[in-house]
Amino acid sequence: MFELFTYDFMQRSLLAAAMVGGLCSVIGVFVVLRGLAFVGAGTAHAAFAGVALGFLMGWPPLLLAIIFGLATVWITGWVEEKGRMKLDVSIGILYTTTMALAILFIGLMKTYNAEVYGYLFGSVLSVTSEELRTIGGLSILVLGLILLFSKELYFIAFDQEMAEASGVPARKIFFLLLTLVALTVVISLKTVGAILVFAMILIPASTAYQLTHSLRTLTIYSILIGISTSVSGVLISAVWDIPSGPAIVLLATSIFFLAILFSPKRERRMAPAA
Amino acid sequence: MSESSNPIIQFDHATFGFPGVIALQDISLSIGMGEFVGVIGPNGSGKTTLCRAVLGLMAPLTGHLRIFDCACGELRCHHRAQIGYLPQKGVVDRNFPVTVLETVMMGRYGTLGLFKRTTKKDQAIALDALAHVGMDAHRDTALGHLSGGQQQRVFIARALAQQPKVLLLDEPTTGLDITTQHNVIELVAHLHKELGLTVLLITHDINMIRSHVDRLVLLKTRLFAAGPPAEVLQPDILRQVYGKDVVITEKDLVIVEDYHHHH
Repeated sequence: MFELFTYDFMQRSLLAAAMVGGLCSVIGVFVVLRGLAFVGAGTAHAAFAGVALGFLMGWPPLLLAIIFGLATVWITGWVEEKGRMKLDVSIGILYTTTMALAILFIGLMKTYNAEVYGYLFGSVLSVTSEELRTIGGLSILVLGLILLFSKELYFIAFDQEMAEASGVPARKIFFLLLTLVALTVVISLKTVGAILVFAMILIPASTAYQLTHSLRTLTIYSILIGISTSVSGVLISAVWDIPSGPAIVLLATSIFFLAILFSPKRERRMAPAA
Repeated sequence: MSESSNPIIQFDHATFGFPGVIALQDISLSIGMGEFVGVIGPNGSGKTTLCRAVLGLMAPLTGHLRIFDCACGELRCHHRAQIGYLPQKGVVDRNFPVTVLETVMMGRYGTLGLFKRTTKKDQAIALDALAHVGMDAHRDTALGHLSGGQQQRVFIARALAQQPKVLLLDEPTTGLDITTQHNVIELVAHLHKELGLTVLLITHDINMIRSHVDRLVLLKTRLFAAGPPAEVLQPDILRQVYGKDVVITEKDLVIVEDYHHHH
């Protein structure tokens, strides 16, 4: 098994998995706490429509994925802020619209394009050095912004109205969070794919949520779970010759259910009231 | 109407609402530095709108509102950070992963501003705020594990951690048992005296606050009265707002139709 580590493609895959796993699990903390689960899922499908348009027109797919992803989250956030519609309704509409566009763009392609489907299902084992550099660069940008605005992001995740009232520019920070979610989804498209990326965002943070009562500890646990399940998933995928995306997600899901079973919060719920 | 000589909040014929819906009409009121003002009125009388206006989250449709000598529409984050706000009690998810100290530290975030990290000094301020509300022994407890009254104390500590000039409390006793309600009001009165804070307390419970406040403001879309409790709590004034069912007992207990909030 150890000879696996000597292959260039394997080193690239493990590095990409670690970066994407770490990034998704950090943004996931805010997504889970702020209740934006559906936004992430919608963004992933919107970004995939961007990829499909890119391949159809011969334009850079990742750039179009970023444009589609950002447009979706910004429109969603704007509609909610104006009080016209709840967040989950507007994202639901955009989610299906962009998926319809993706299917349309794929249908308009004259030949079958396997690479498009790579973005749908993910193919971490085929990550190139150039893609790795893009993932690395964008990851540093997103993590840097999270670090810079972490206290405000935590506050709006806990209580956005309260944050606004106590002098935090909460609406701007909320749009920043939506932007970071969109960027994270795009960064992760190549490795885990549009369908599974959201599990990478949701599961590590939800697992950590079961295990602690502290925001700080939650973030640390989420990162550890995110990186370890991503790297382990890639190794399992290489050793047993199974697709990497499902390997990562199913491993993370197993740990999530174990965490629910052994959650200290669960024990407390079952204990008689003091 | 009693007017303050050193106003920190000043409404001048201010009307608030949305197109077609007037929530507060033609309000003129000055609140002075260090005053303890209770805002009363039935449900839907515009109390929470008043709260949002003072926070600068709602500009007047007509008239003016000045806070810290700054027009309401120009209120920026650093102004807002000077108002310690306790919103109506929402439901805190028992499992939300936040400790008492982490919650109170959030009170520092707006005051610090963007790009600045919290320091030991901020933690000392947060711990001091916790000590003021008698919750310092619970600093590492999960917020969701506390009782409703204890959670209110923690939220008051978060407001105090802003080191505010004004404490703005929207129905701070809703959903608490009667002893805890008294304790929370006693705590607010104590903080008003000890820290010299200007306190604006919005409530439907007249009897609970009447002995603590300097002035009562009686609202029902319009401002019906503002003055010392003894002046405002007159049967003829109260009947204008609460209808004919107002009863004032021999012990000056005011009984109005039950307008308790439902959330």
